[in-house]
Amino acid sequence: MVNRTIEDDTLLRVEGLKTYFFQRNAVLKAVDGVSFTVAQGEAVGLVGESGSGKTMTCLSLMRLVPQPGARIVEGEIWFKNENLLDLTEHEMRAYRGHRMAIIMQDPQTSLNPVYTVGEQVAEPVRLHLKERGQQAMARVLDSLRSVRIPRPELRLGQYPHQFSGGMRQRVVAAMGLTTEPELLIADEPTTSLDVTIQAQFLRLIRELQQESGTSVIWVTHDLGIVAQMCDRVNVMYAGRIVESGRVRQIYKEPQHPYTRALLDSVPLMGARREKLYQIEGQPPDLRSIPEGCPFWPRCPDAMDKCKEQYPPRTSLGGEDFVHCWLTEEGR
Amino acid sequence: MADQLLEVEGLAKHFRGGGNWLTSGGDVIRAVDGVSFSVEEGETFALVGESGCGKTTVAKMILLLERPSGGTISFQGTDVSRFRGSGLREYKRLVQAVFQDPYSSLNPRMQVLDIIGEPLRVHQRMHGRNLRMRVGELLENVGLNPVTASFFPHQFSGGQRQRIAIARALALRPRLIVLDEPVSGLDVSIRAQILNLLVDLQRDLGLSYLLISHDLAIVEHMSHRVGVMYVGKMMELATRDEFYGNTLHPYSNALLASVPNPDPDIPMGEAIGGEVASPINPPTGCRFHTRCPIYMETSMCRDVEPDWREILSEHLTACHKVEPALV
Repeated sequence: MVNRTIEDDTLLRVEGLKTYFFQRNAVLKAVDGVSFTVAQGEAVGLVGESGSGKTMTCLSLMRLVPQPGARIVEGEIWFKNENLLDLTEHEMRAYRGHRMAIIMQDPQTSLNPVYTVGEQVAEPVRLHLKERGQQAMARVLDSLRSVRIPRPELRLGQYPHQFSGGMRQRVVAAMGLTTEPELLIADEPTTSLDVTIQAQFLRLIRELQQESGTSVIWVTHDLGIVAQMCDRVNVMYAGRIVESGRVRQIYKEPQHPYTRALLDSVPLMGARREKLYQIEGQPPDLRSIPEGCPFWPRCPDAMDKCKEQYPPRTSLGGEDFVHCWLTEEGR
Repeated sequence: MADQLLEVEGLAKHFRGGGNWLTSGGDVIRAVDGVSFSVEEGETFALVGESGCGKTTVAKMILLLERPSGGTISFQGTDVSRFRGSGLREYKRLVQAVFQDPYSSLNPRMQVLDIIGEPLRVHQRMHGRNLRMRVGELLENVGLNPVTASFFPHQFSGGQRQRIAIARALALRPRLIVLDEPVSGLDVSIRAQILNLLVDLQRDLGLSYLLISHDLAIVEHMSHRVGVMYVGKMMELATRDEFYGNTLHPYSNALLASVPNPDPDIPMGEAIGGEVASPINPPTGCRFHTRCPIYMETSMCRDVEPDWREILSEHLTACHKVEPALV
């Protein structure tokens, strides 16, 4: 696997990534052996509940895991032909904010309140593109325009508090996209936005993605966003990807009981379910992840085997796979 | 539906403010500006809208946490502003609330027994064994083990805390529970548990719910009738089937089109542009005209506020472009 030459259109290949939190008397396995790929121009979803490790996976990709406390203990992150985990911090800076960018959940905290919006969008331009003065200004205006901020000439002299939530999130997107990154990581960028504003933002990102061919990793717990925005989806549970596949395939025929349960437990517009499917119990506590498959205490189909051993990866054709004893045994 | 439990008529709430810490501001924030609806016995009425539409302010006025600037709230036929003494206590007993954030709505220093028991102590002077038994019963009703009565809130997960908040709301056998975004702080897999619990409790206890939510899928799942608010005004009100099947107001349509459908084969509808208007100096005429896809320059949308009219039976809307089918 490791020495496999990367196919031409693969942009990112994550192999066996493990990111742990080290506490005084416990090790929290936030990311515990995650592998997935992102092709060029592809939008890939990372879906899961809080604590499933989706945000930690993204921070690991950017090598921004909280220090001290957390550490990437194992794995490889291939960005084209370079393993990001082999780079020095200095070399990593050429990637972060330039070839790969991240949009965080909360536009309130990801913008600095004491700098103007123009200064903040200009920062990646100065640092990575080494542009100054008029040239930099022109690029900042372009990127504010590209995220459809009205009257950018006026807006770039203003401060974040003068922007609405939706507009702020566009500024963050502009910061991320101004260097034309090859990979954009969007970590729940719309959770704080109103529905109509969210719809505008989703549409915008999709248009920008089509224009520039950027690959996107969408981190979300909203299955609607995944259905609308992604080509592939990776379902995470307790730090691992339990199922991976093309969106259509997974939504039509989910293989993993957790995926199925997630899809059945959300109210769908127009579906009129009498009762929602109810996943019993709580999402796992990372301090005490159950032996075997971590989902077994909540799984309606759990067998004895599930309590003892983590199921191997069962290929479902192509890149698609699932980790479940039911599928493995049923083959 | 059966009898009217709660009736809201022309309800308004204007705050003084605007400005900033330097200019005290003579602006008036029209948070709620003439809203009418009713909640009937045993039904769930949902108030839907984006942030700043005034839905939470309506809930606060019903809970007597804000005093209305105009209009009336009647409960079982009596104007609630006339309630005094025992009548007021009775109203506060019959109308309860469950809030969005189960982390801040429970006192971290109180045991569950005291959290759920407090209303029983205050209203019914219950104590000792009776109190413990009633709290145990309530915990069982919401699917928690009665032994957890001696636990503190931090020992529970978000979903369990929301169950405690529901048990507290049920303690005094209310008729109406105001649910203000009851599941938005919870994980996806936990939401279904709480929504199912609320539906079961409504069926078993004959409760009425006023559900405040921005999630149209949850509203469709939970409610019998739906009211849509925009910048302090009601835009449309209909039964659930009418609302989702025969949407009349362009704003309601825009809201429905904005929901990302969890079916990859159903593409997202047309998004509307613009931002939610400010309740300080709201747009003239129809408040939605600044974003309305069917607004026309020559029309009266900009100048004349549309009337609140019944277009079809039990289906009301405020839009110049919708013609009544009722004769």
